[in-house]
Amino acid sequence: MRNILKPIYRNFSRKPVTNLINLGGLALSLSLVIVLAVYAYSELTTDHFHKNGARVYLYSESGNLPRIYTPGVLKDAIDQNIPEVESTLRIAGTWEAPVFQAEDQEPITSDLLFTDPSFFTFFSYKVVEGNPAAALSEPLTVVITQSLAAKLFGKQSAIGKTLKLNNEKTLTVKAVIEEPKANTSLSFSALTSMATRQIVMPNEAEFKVWPFCLFQTFVLLKEGTNPEAVAPKIAALFPPDMKTKKSEARLTPFNKLYFTQFSLFNANYLRCGDRTKVMILLLVAALVLVIALVNFVNISSSQWVERVRQIGTMKVAGAGRFSILSKVIAEAFLFFLLAVFLAMALIALFITNIVSYTGIHFNLGYIFSFQFIGISVAGAFILSLLFSLIPALQLSNSKAIDNLRKGITKPAKKQTSSSILVTTQFAIAIVLIAFTILIQKQVDFGSSNLGINQENIVGLKLTPELMAKKDVLKKMISENPNVGQISFAQYFPGEIISHWETKTTGGSEEKTVFYDTFNADANFFKTAGLELIQGRLYSGDIATDANKVVVNESFIRENKLQNPLGTKFMSMNGSVLEIVGIIRDFHYQSYNKPILPLAIRNEPFSTYCLVSLQTGNYKALSQSVQDIQAKAKSLSPSFPVEINFFDQAVQQLYQSELQFRRTFSLFAFSAIVICCMGILAMSMFACQRRIKEIGIRKVNGAKVSKVMTMLNRDFVKWVFVAFVVATPVSWYIMHKWLEGFAYKTELNWWIFALAGILALGIALLTVSFQSWKAATRNPVEALRYE
Amino acid sequence: MIHLNNIDKYYDSKFQRSFVLKAVNLDIAEGEFVSIMGPSGSGKSTLLNIIGLLDQPSAGEYTLYDKSVLDLKEKVKVDYHRNFMGFIFQAYHLIEEMTVYENIETPLIYKGVKGKDREAMVADLLDRFNMVAKKDLFPQQLSGGQQQLVGIARAIIGKPKLLLADEPTGNLHSSQGEMIMENLKALHDEGMTIIQVTHNEKFAQYGTRVIRLEDGIIRKDEKNV
Repeated sequence: MRNILKPIYRNFSRKPVTNLINLGGLALSLSLVIVLAVYAYSELTTDHFHKNGARVYLYSESGNLPRIYTPGVLKDAIDQNIPEVESTLRIAGTWEAPVFQAEDQEPITSDLLFTDPSFFTFFSYKVVEGNPAAALSEPLTVVITQSLAAKLFGKQSAIGKTLKLNNEKTLTVKAVIEEPKANTSLSFSALTSMATRQIVMPNEAEFKVWPFCLFQTFVLLKEGTNPEAVAPKIAALFPPDMKTKKSEARLTPFNKLYFTQFSLFNANYLRCGDRTKVMILLLVAALVLVIALVNFVNISSSQWVERVRQIGTMKVAGAGRFSILSKVIAEAFLFFLLAVFLAMALIALFITNIVSYTGIHFNLGYIFSFQFIGISVAGAFILSLLFSLIPALQLSNSKAIDNLRKGITKPAKKQTSSSILVTTQFAIAIVLIAFTILIQKQVDFGSSNLGINQENIVGLKLTPELMAKKDVLKKMISENPNVGQISFAQYFPGEIISHWETKTTGGSEEKTVFYDTFNADANFFKTAGLELIQGRLYSGDIATDANKVVVNESFIRENKLQNPLGTKFMSMNGSVLEIVGIIRDFHYQSYNKPILPLAIRNEPFSTYCLVSLQTGNYKALSQSVQDIQAKAKSLSPSFPVEINFFDQAVQQLYQSELQFRRTFSLFAFSAIVICCMGILAMSMFACQRRIKEIGIRKVNGAKVSKVMTMLNRDFVKWVFVAFVVATPVSWYIMHKWLEGFAYKTELNWWIFALAGILALGIALLTVSFQSWKAATRNPVEALRYE
Repeated sequence: MIHLNNIDKYYDSKFQRSFVLKAVNLDIAEGEFVSIMGPSGSGKSTLLNIIGLLDQPSAGEYTLYDKSVLDLKEKVKVDYHRNFMGFIFQAYHLIEEMTVYENIETPLIYKGVKGKDREAMVADLLDRFNMVAKKDLFPQQLSGGQQQLVGIARAIIGKPKLLLADEPTGNLHSSQGEMIMENLKALHDEGMTIIQVTHNEKFAQYGTRVIRLEDGIIRKDEKNV
């Protein structure tokens, strides 16, 4: 062993710079590959930890919008009529985020799910203390997660403790479960029984009649049951007036729920992921690895060429083919192994930074699990074998006498292969740079063209106490000199928006109109800066305006209304609404979603108080916000008061794009760094190899600039070829990526040009340093050893 | 010991065959010290390489102790290199990443000699060549003559019967060259068979027999008295 290690160490330290570049690049790329592989693994195995998860399905109907809301009575109907179903489970969220308050503690906003006792048969969670299944069959009990328990009760045992829900009912904690894993689609912090729901949200009908669709229904199928056969049977249970086509009934496997994008209109406990993003990031990881491996091949082959003579000497001294073979492979393996451990160290050091910067969310536990370390080491072995076998075979099969004769002279063929490799590297780098620019452009495009005021607006979430004292609140807030408009509305970016389908009335023919809708007072339009294009806005001063609505352009277009102004239609709560004005379309939801028909109603119920602040001064702004918060706090002692900036809430809508952009740009940047390290090493070799040539040219009168041009020309050529190759490839990828967006930025030519110029600039900067050094050397030194 | 019969070595190019060695017949007995001389390109090194099993003749017979050693398997060849012959080169060909000690030790490792024995054997040789103090230096830190001494030590540590030296003094000052030749002579006196290629008339005379090659043909083969 010593005889293998020592020469490897000495070989390494003889050329520390190139070897460190090689090792560092490899370690950097491996750390990225490991992080991304773990991330992808974590994403792709979301929910796989539930013991019965493979047999759990969510019932849904795919209509215009995939609907996963089902009536409460469906459970009993399934249990009685469908023998293939072992068990049925309902889950329902709350409309408003609930507020919990432990004794003598500040109230906190949290989340709460209502569910059946079979929850823990369907899903596996580790119990920290108590009996969770029992808790879900009793009224006014609650199961909470460890983190919520810590927030509410600190380090004490939570069992038997009570907490106040929305300042009304008291719930008793019956069990504490371990925090749900990061890779799960169910995210919640408290569970309670359906019996509790009947007490805190009394609504007899929802458990008795069909039309109240407020629950999600999961079924646990018996082993070996075909879900596609069961789904139509469930659809057949609905009463005639609610029946949908059997073909539209779906049972979505729970394991695949994460990548099926269902949206819930109330408390969204279903997290969803995007498989495309995972795949793109995996692809990036693979590309980064390719770049690093190219470096490895280029650098190590240059070194092996120099060591051909050494191999010859060893052969003459009696080294067998096997010992040469194993030496080369062992060296490569150790190198990769070192890189893997370095990568692990890098990950251990920077994982918190990476996670907080990119916001990617995954099960960190996987990284340092034995399996992953084992896989990494095995991967290192396979890679080293793959990339050292060819030189190892060449070297061990070569004739000793040839090796001794050849020495340093390099065969010409080697050159072209390494130039192809470097070109590949640059092509990858250019694609990554171009894509990074595009993602940035798309994010900017999205968040700047919403058609709604974003700046200097804050939203104050109305607690039940504040709702009762709206007028007082308005008066108190308007005392602040910085406050401009004040509006009460049911709208805030990221909040749930109702979707209605009703019928028109009073016209010549009855037709169905569908639309998203929320309440807002007359001030809303000014506060949000919405543009009226036809008719008028309703006013708070005119008493008859109470049933007037303002709609957007899509409302007219999608519902095909001829003379929209004055059109009357029913609302879901029975009143008749009349259109008085049309406003320009704006993105009231994420720009990834198409703009749907929207009706803004002049009804008093509101959930947010929107305040526009008239100051650009950051300090005044934050003081005003504090002032508003303090005032609201004084009016709402038993509920937490939340104030959010409008633009930040908008940013939240693009969280996943932002995360993607950051993750992608981080990895693209690393790829470019590794690329640079590679060409730095290549240029060092090139300068060394041509040292004599440079000397001769200089003796014969070449200027420094001439020599530098000569040395840089190759690299420029490679970047150019790479640019030509990369442009169509990246155009295609970018085009595909943009197709996923409802509103997309343009694919300008300058994106590619900028990427190419950046790549060229980076390459020249890296290479010029070396060539400058080589070109300014005293030629006598180079020619001395003839 | 060595018997070469009608050895040819040639390279075929498109229109003609160029001979490096032509009909070489040579017998070398155990204990001889043979110097091969000749102008550049006369085929001296090729002949030495063929004898050292580093190169194959194009035609002819080559037997070592009456066993044909043409078309040997790689493995058998390696065995000859490990146990039967040692090489010395003009350019020393020491491994630069290894110390003097390790360079000398290398053949023993390939031979499979145990650690303790290796230590003793290397120490012995270091002592003999007066290089004990230099054992931890790297080749670059030594003078040419000393590097060649290490080369000799490495060549003979496996106790070979045959020592092949390709211009061992070619890169050295005459005084260092003389020192090397004295060492070779001493080895010969101990009974080792040595074949050396040299340009230097004076050093050739250290041998018991001088063979003069010209254009691949043995022109003269004379014994020194």
